[in-house]
This record gives sequence, structure tokens and C-alpha cells, in this order.
Amino acid sequence: MTRYVMVADLRRCVGCQTCTAACKENNGTPVGVQWRRVLDIEAGEYPDVSRVFLPTGCNHCDKPPCMEVCPSTATGKRADGLVTIDYDLCIGCSYCIMACPYDARFKVEDLAYSYGEANAADQARSNPAEFDGVVSKCTFCIDRIDAGLAKGLVPGRDMEATPACVQGCISGALRFGDLHDPNSDVSQLIKNNKYFRQHEEEGTGPGFYYLWDKGAP
Amino acid sequence: MSLKQKAVPEAVTSVPSYCYNCVSGPDLMTVRVKDGIATAIAPNHDAIGIHPAHGRPCVKAYGLVQKTYNPDRVLTPMKRTNPKKGRHEDPGFVAISWDEALDAVAAKLKDIEATGKLDENSMPRVAATFGHGGTPASYMGTFPAFLAAWGAIDFSFGSGQGVKCVHSEHLYGEFWHRAFTVCADTVQTRLILSFGTNVEVSGGPCAVRRHADARIRGIKRIQIEPHLSPTGACSAEWVPIRPKTDAAFMLAMVHVLLHEARRDQLDLAFLKDRTASPYLVGPDGWYLRDPDSGKPLVWDEVSERAVPHDSPGIRPALDGTFEVRNVAAHGPDDERIAYDHVAARSAFQVMGDTMRPYTPEWAAEVCDVPAGTIRHVATEFLDNACIGETIVVGGRTLPFRPVAITLGKTVNNGWGAFECCWARTMLACLVGALEVPGGTLGTTVRLNRPHENRLASVKPGEDGFMANKLNATGKGKWADKPTGRNAHKPLIPIVGDSSWAQALGPTHLAWMFLKDAPKEWAKPNPPDLWFAFRTNPAISFWDTDQIIENMAKMPFVVAFAYTMDETNHMADILLPDATDLESTQIIRVGGTKFVEQHWEHAGIIIRQPAVEPQGEARDFTWITTEICRRAGLLEAYNTAINRGAALVPLKREHYDYSLAIDQVHDVETIWDAVCKAATHELTDGADVKDLAWLKTNGLFVVPFEKKDWYLLPTMEDQGLRFEMPYQERLLKAGIELGRRLHEHDIHWWDTQLKEYQALPTWHDVPHHWLKSTRDLGGHPDDYPFWAVTTKSMPYTTGNNAGIPLMNEVAQNLRGHGSVVMNAGAAKKLGIKAGDWVEVRSPISFTRGKAALVQGCRPDTIVVQGQYAHWKTPYAKDLNFPSLNKVIPLSMELTDATGSGADLVRVSVTKVDGPLAEDAR
Repeated sequence: MTRYVMVADLRRCVGCQTCTAACKENNGTPVGVQWRRVLDIEAGEYPDVSRVFLPTGCNHCDKPPCMEVCPSTATGKRADGLVTIDYDLCIGCSYCIMACPYDARFKVEDLAYSYGEANAADQARSNPAEFDGVVSKCTFCIDRIDAGLAKGLVPGRDMEATPACVQGCISGALRFGDLHDPNSDVSQLIKNNKYFRQHEEEGTGPGFYYLWDKGAP
Repeated sequence: MSLKQKAVPEAVTSVPSYCYNCVSGPDLMTVRVKDGIATAIAPNHDAIGIHPAHGRPCVKAYGLVQKTYNPDRVLTPMKRTNPKKGRHEDPGFVAISWDEALDAVAAKLKDIEATGKLDENSMPRVAATFGHGGTPASYMGTFPAFLAAWGAIDFSFGSGQGVKCVHSEHLYGEFWHRAFTVCADTVQTRLILSFGTNVEVSGGPCAVRRHADARIRGIKRIQIEPHLSPTGACSAEWVPIRPKTDAAFMLAMVHVLLHEARRDQLDLAFLKDRTASPYLVGPDGWYLRDPDSGKPLVWDEVSERAVPHDSPGIRPALDGTFEVRNVAAHGPDDERIAYDHVAARSAFQVMGDTMRPYTPEWAAEVCDVPAGTIRHVATEFLDNACIGETIVVGGRTLPFRPVAITLGKTVNNGWGAFECCWARTMLACLVGALEVPGGTLGTTVRLNRPHENRLASVKPGEDGFMANKLNATGKGKWADKPTGRNAHKPLIPIVGDSSWAQALGPTHLAWMFLKDAPKEWAKPNPPDLWFAFRTNPAISFWDTDQIIENMAKMPFVVAFAYTMDETNHMADILLPDATDLESTQIIRVGGTKFVEQHWEHAGIIIRQPAVEPQGEARDFTWITTEICRRAGLLEAYNTAINRGAALVPLKREHYDYSLAIDQVHDVETIWDAVCKAATHELTDGADVKDLAWLKTNGLFVVPFEKKDWYLLPTMEDQGLRFEMPYQERLLKAGIELGRRLHEHDIHWWDTQLKEYQALPTWHDVPHHWLKSTRDLGGHPDDYPFWAVTTKSMPYTTGNNAGIPLMNEVAQNLRGHGSVVMNAGAAKKLGIKAGDWVEVRSPISFTRGKAALVQGCRPDTIVVQGQYAHWKTPYAKDLNFPSLNKVIPLSMELTDATGSGADLVRVSVTKVDGPLAEDAR
């Protein structure tokens, strides 16, 4: 059984937003929708201050609270751990946005393109109109995973089959792979480092692991 | 299921290319193209194992798709119809044909050639300005061949060079260790002391990856900086130092090593053999020399007498005062001094005596940093230096000294930068950590040649040091009139006289002198023709109102235009070049380059048209060829290409790919020849590739020896010493320069002359800015904050202000487009987060929203980036503040190297809202 998870090594992340940009460009998300976003967090009081960069997005939970509240069954969960949204079923009620403890879901109220009208690249990349009126979120680049698997590639190891944010991450902070493969990069990183998961106490079983040696930021 | 679950379409192709939008590149990328449209940027993972960042470009590259399809692009040649120029004059641009545009440029060039390429003041009538750090050259195809074919070009109108770059580091770094820029040997070091270096933001993917790997390995980095930048955030310790007092901190570190550490804790062998520490200094401040050979003397502990420094079998004394007889000294202007009997101190002793007052307790007051912090930083530096350890690199045994110091902007330019650069280099010397594995390294050269091999630029010079060519200051040799409008040759000996020297000279003086020139020199005329490419000094320099006013005096401006902007608002002709994803160029890649591009490979990389150019945009090489053809320069242009102006010589002893000089060659033919010549050169002819091969494969590299990351082996092989600690040559140049200037009744450079010292002594560096405030009519008490600037990666030097994707992702970072200030200081002023505030200096003001943080000194504010656009589409609506509006262009804030620092005293007050559009 496969369980895909994301690992963010906070010791590496510099907050450059390359993952955010790579995600937006590869997934053609509308203005203001950031499935992968890196938060800039400060703690303490001058002069004893720390600042940390925290990549966020859908945690692809074991028990997704978003799925629980979805009245249209648009939100689903695959056997490999990926939490999905069927835009044809989504009625845009936004219950899932309220239920998600990770602030990971987006609903576009006023669809906009970067320069007003959709340009050639907007049209060639995807159809942003498909986001209109529905809720969206990080898919772990499900299309890349499935296309890669069809070619016999290993997500997380072969970049063509790996989420765009991980592929683009310049510091090597973001990693992806199968938690149930003990030899995968993510399994090894989780095994050999201190880590935390966000809102673990809520029992969601998040699939986003943060490597950090200084306690939760 | 319509689950946004689409397989990558078969019609999608992936085109290899490069991003060199900032000096931290070039980095690799691929362009995803679907049905002839670029849809996304992705890494080039074929370069894993070759590119230090595994083929990944930074966030800026992801903006190139939007850049290509920006509807605000200039897509036809245009001409100005309103002869009046100024911010508030409508240029009245109208579209014209390429023929009309090119003929107009060619006609102007022919007119100038007929009149004479130099004007009545001996200044070039043609000037050219390119943007950040030479990177435009990676996008302007064969334009350098036009520049070479033409000859006299004034490069001295900067867009920020000298005041926005690491200017003093460029000059002193290259002088002392062939280090146009300086970095840590991050892959091997254990401790980095980073004085304001923002490497996690502006270091590019290679630096970010190296530092991330180093953190996992256990490196410790201490960030010493007034605010908590991303680099500080990723460091083990943050030391919030008072702005512009870094030199005091570092002088105190030198004090600790010299006066608190045991002498045998230092790298004595390095100091004695690879530096001038043992050279004897006489009472007049000059090296004592052998009267016959003129060589500097050292005290030999074996024979107990003074002997030439390169005498075999000697044991030079490091410390001490000695009585010496029958020696000579060489003063300024070839003065010869003879001593029968004189007391001499070693340069090391002189340094020790000079540094004695600079205790950590003294520095604590200056820097507002506890003495204990300064002492522990110095001690950790010493403790981690591993003196005595060695490492084998490429078969050569080298010292292993895993401690490094890096300096950021505002630390390494402007007043105080000389002291900082000296102290950084000297601290490395004290522990033998200069240009060795783990230590402080140079990256590339620009004032010396060859640019592609800094090791080959080392040649034996005077006194056991490497040769450095300074601008002459001797009587009868000094250039008594400027040869470029920034006066780099008469004023700045250390910058030399290469084309890079012009562009590095005090470029703000070129702008300032258009308004008020020194009475002793003829007032310069604006150039008859000014070319501008990838540059926007109208917003990127200081006192932008004055810059705009001066720019409007340019009679004929040719701008290679991407969109309308604040600078090409003054243009007469706009030429739309095919930009990043649309055109062809081959450049060098790998080896050691700016910032932290240290590769174990070197070679060439191609940028190729992933998509057809938008509108009528044309490849820069085609534009250049046509200008040259129409201006009657074709043969000279082709000759320049053959000589190497497009990358490498097309003809050498063992190969000939040269182009017929009397023919017009198309873009592909030119780059095919360049590709073959470059690969021939890289492989000695064993593996020659053509353009088609390079387009498919993206890059061609051969191994680059890691040993060549370090300068020490070259210095050892040539028996040379680093010119530290004592600066006899610079002191002499300063005295001579002062004499020459005074002989011409020039006294307005006297403050700068004081910077020429044999050893740095502390002067009240921040006082320069307090005095400037007063001289501009303000009272320092009314301007209680230090205002500094910083960057974010989406914007660092990328000219990305018109790209919405960059703005969207940068908003995730604190302070983007805002005025960052300490929350406690803001509270005292009644300022809440998000309030509009006005930042005012004696010359002007800017407005932005307040972003309140704890990670900033209470006496300091931070205004990020370079904005305040009023013409650039999209950017002009952002309404962001810009420090450039409020920093004066000022002679008194210019140091002896011709550089200034991004720093100004300001007031901060709460206001109701943004400025009206016209007032921005």
C-alpha cells in the first residue's frame, strides 16, 4: 500500500517562494490561489527574535475533515493518500474551507488573470475558468504522479513524476514520496530527524511532515 | 472525473535554456512549450551532478512566461514625436518600421563619426548603460561586437553601480586576492560570520543549496545586521548591530586575535610566508628597502639582521622593533630616502600597535553590541580555524581553515567599507584562511583579465606582491582631466582603466556633473547618443528626481525596450528586442563566478528561442548586425566577432571558424561559429559541437578542477605574498593623488583622500550621514531613524516589477512593498501595522504601509526593493515606497573608491494614505 506524503525541512527553507511560483505556473491556478504557500513567521521579542519559513498547503490527511463535511461528495480520498476534489460535483458551498485546519482550500469569487484578459499562456496552460465557483487545493500534482506511474516512474525519486513544488525547490527543503516505502527519501528523513506535523492533536493524520530541531515554531 | 487530472500532453516540448537575470546566475532551466506557446518554466534535471543547484533556477525564472506574454510589451519600433523631455512631458511615441528605426540610429552614428567620436572635452559622444552586474551582456547577443567596433564609448552613466553594488569589495577584493566578489567556501567551512550578507535572498540557487546543505552538515552562521533578514532567520545567531559600525566590530575582532589570543594560536607560517607581515616599516611610514635591489626588508632571526624578504634560508621575525643600518625607503613621487641608522617595526608590529585601542569594550559602545558578544564571535572564529590541519584537493595538500567572513551591501560600500574589507581580509590572514579550503574566497575578476580565469590573472608584481595596475598618480603621469564623465581615472587610482573600471567608477558623479560640474574641469556635455538596455536608473539610482532631470538632457536616446518605463520615457527611439525566451545566445557557465557559483565543471550554455518573438521583437544579434551594416561598421563588427567579442575568438592558431568580414551573417551562422570555436577551445579540438547539438543538449561542459577554486596554490607557485596587512602602495597613491589634485587647486576630494591609510583606524563612520543631514539643511534630531534597504528573492535585481506573479508570491514575505519597523518604536509614534507612513529625509519623501516586526533595531527602518515607478505598467500601480527617493546624490557621502551606501537618516510619521500619482 502506498501513502504519499510531503516533507518540509525547515532547516533548509529560506522562504524564497520558488515552490509557490512553480506550483502556480504548473497548475495554472488563478491570481490569489496558492496551493503551496510559504509563511514567514516571527517569534519572540527584540532582540531575542526568531524567524522561520513554513511551507503550507493541503496535508492530504488520513481522516480529512474537509471530506467529512462535504455535502456533495466532491471531496474524496484515494488509496495512495491523495485527497481529491471533483470539480463537477463541487457546489462551492465552502464548508470544507471552514473545516480545514490548514487553511489550504481556496474558492475563487472573482476570477482574474494576471494581466486582466487571459493571454496566450493562460489559455495554453489550463482553463482557469474551471476554478470558477468551486473549491480547489493542492493535488500533490496528481496528474504528474499518475502520468509518471503510467511510465513506470517513482514519484519523489523521478522528478517528472514529482510535485512541481518539490521539483522546483532550490534548497532541497521539500521532498515527496511514499511513506510506506522504508527506503524512500521521505521515510529516511522522517526516521532520522526530529519532526512535527501541524494540528496532529486534531486526529487528522496529516501527510505533511516538518523536519525541525528546535521544537514547533 | 474532471479532477484537474490531465496527463502531460504529448504536444508539449521542453526547451533547455538559462536564466541570468541576476549576477548569481546563470542557472539552468527548461521552458515547457505547448503548441508554440510557453506555458511554464521547470528545472533542467539533466544537469544534476553538474550544476550545484541540481539544475534549478530561482523564483525569478518562473516569471519569464508572464514576462513573454505581458500585454504591455513594446512590440514595434517606436519614435518620439515630442522633442521636449521630462517626466511630465508625453513622449508621443508612434510606431515606425524597423527600417526607419535602424536608419535613424545608423544616421546618428554616421553623424557622430563625421563630427568626431570625442567631443570638445575629449569625452565620448556615444554612451551606453547596462543594468545589473554585467548580466545584460547575457541577453544582448553580439552588441559587444558593435561596442568594440565603434571604439570610444562612455560607460560611466550608471544605474546604481558604485552605490548599489558591493563596490569597495570589488576594488579591494580584486586588489588583495583577485576577488571581484567574495564568498565563503561554504561546502567545507564550519563557521561563517556574515556581516549583512543576504546570501539566502540574493545568492541564487547555487548559494542557497550550498548553505542549506551546510546547515544540515552542522555549519554555524552568525548574522550581524541591523534587521533580521531571511539570511539572519536561517542563521544560528543574530547580532543586531547599529548601522555602519561593522568596521568597529571587526577591528575589535582583530584586537582580540592580536592582543588576547596567544600568538601561537595564529597561523604564523601563513603570516610570515604569504603576507607582508614581516616587512620592516620605517619612521616615515614606508617599507625599508635594500638600497641596491630596492626589495623590502625583513628581520632575519637567524642572522639577526635586516635582509631582502626573498632571501633564501631566512626566518623572518613577525613581531618586534629592530635597529637597522644603511637602508632605503621609496616615498611618493619616487622620493628616495636613505637611512644610516633607523628604528624599524615589522608591519605586523605596526598593525598590533594600531589595533591596540580597539577593544571589544570600546567597540561595544560604537556598535551597541555587548563586548561579550564581540569577544565570543572572535573567539569562535579562532577556535574553528583548525590551524595546522591540511586537506588534499586535486592531489595538492592545502591548509584547511574552515572559517569565513562575508560582507553585505552597505557594509562593503560607502564610508567604512575600506576598513571592513581590510579587516575581513586580515582576519582571514591571521588564521591562514584566505583562499584556502574552508576559508574566505574570491570568485571572479573583472578589473583584471582574463575574466574567465582569475588564477591566470595573477602575475608577479612589485615587492613580492601580485601585479595590480592602478591609474597613475605620479607627477606628469596623472590624468588631469576626466576621460569619462564620472572621472574615474583622475579620482580613483585603484579602479584602473578597463571598460569595467568606467562602469564601476563613481557612476553617480556622471549624473551629478551634468547638473553641477567641478569648476576646475570643463562641464561635461550629455552624450550625443545614449544606448540603454535592461537598465532603469530613473528609479534605481538615488535622488531620482535629480536623475530624471539630468536624463532629460540627453539629446538622443536609443532604448532597447521591453515595456515603457521611467528611463525609456526619455528615449527618442525604442527598439523591441526579442527577450529571454525568444532569442539566441551562448555564454560561459561554471568554473567560479560571481557570488557562490563554484562548479566542478565549466563550459558553455545556450539560450534559444523556445517560442517565436512576440510582435515585431527581433533577436538582439540581428538588430546589432543591421545597425552595423547601415552605419558602415560591418567589417569592423565582423572583425570584432572574429576576435572574440561574441564569447570566444573564432580563429586561433589551431582552429578557424571565422566569419567573412564583408558579409552579413544571420543569427544562427554567427552562433554556430561561436559554438564550434568554444567547444574546440574547451576540448582542444577533440569534441567540436555545432549549434544544432547545443540546442538539443542545452550545455556543454568539461571538468573544472576544484583546486582552482582557491588562489593559494597560484600564489605559492609564483612565490607571491598577499598584500596585507600594510598598505604602502595605497598610502603612496593617496598622497600622490592629493598632491596632483591640490596642484590643480582641487580640494573637494580632500575628505576622500583621508581614506588612504597604511592601516585602517576607526573614524566615526555614522557621522558622515549625520553631517550630510545637517549639510542638507536638516537637524539630525529631526531624522531619528537609520533607513536601510534589503531585497526579496522574487525581486532581487531581476527588473521584475512589472510581473504580477512576482508580486503575488512576494506578498507572502513580511515587509514586501512596506516600511518595516520595530513594533516597539512604532508604538511610541502611534503607528499600527498597516498604517500609511511617510519616510522623509532632508531631500524628499516616500510613503508606504507600516509592517511591524520585532526583528529590527528600534533605531532602524527597512524599505525593501526599488519601486516608486510612475511609468512602468503594473508597477506604477503598486504604490510601494522607495528609499531611492530620499537618499541624496552626494559628494560628501562618496568614499575614496567612489562608492556610496544605501543609507539615510529619516523621520517616520503616520499619514492618511498614499501620495497622489503625480507626487510619487
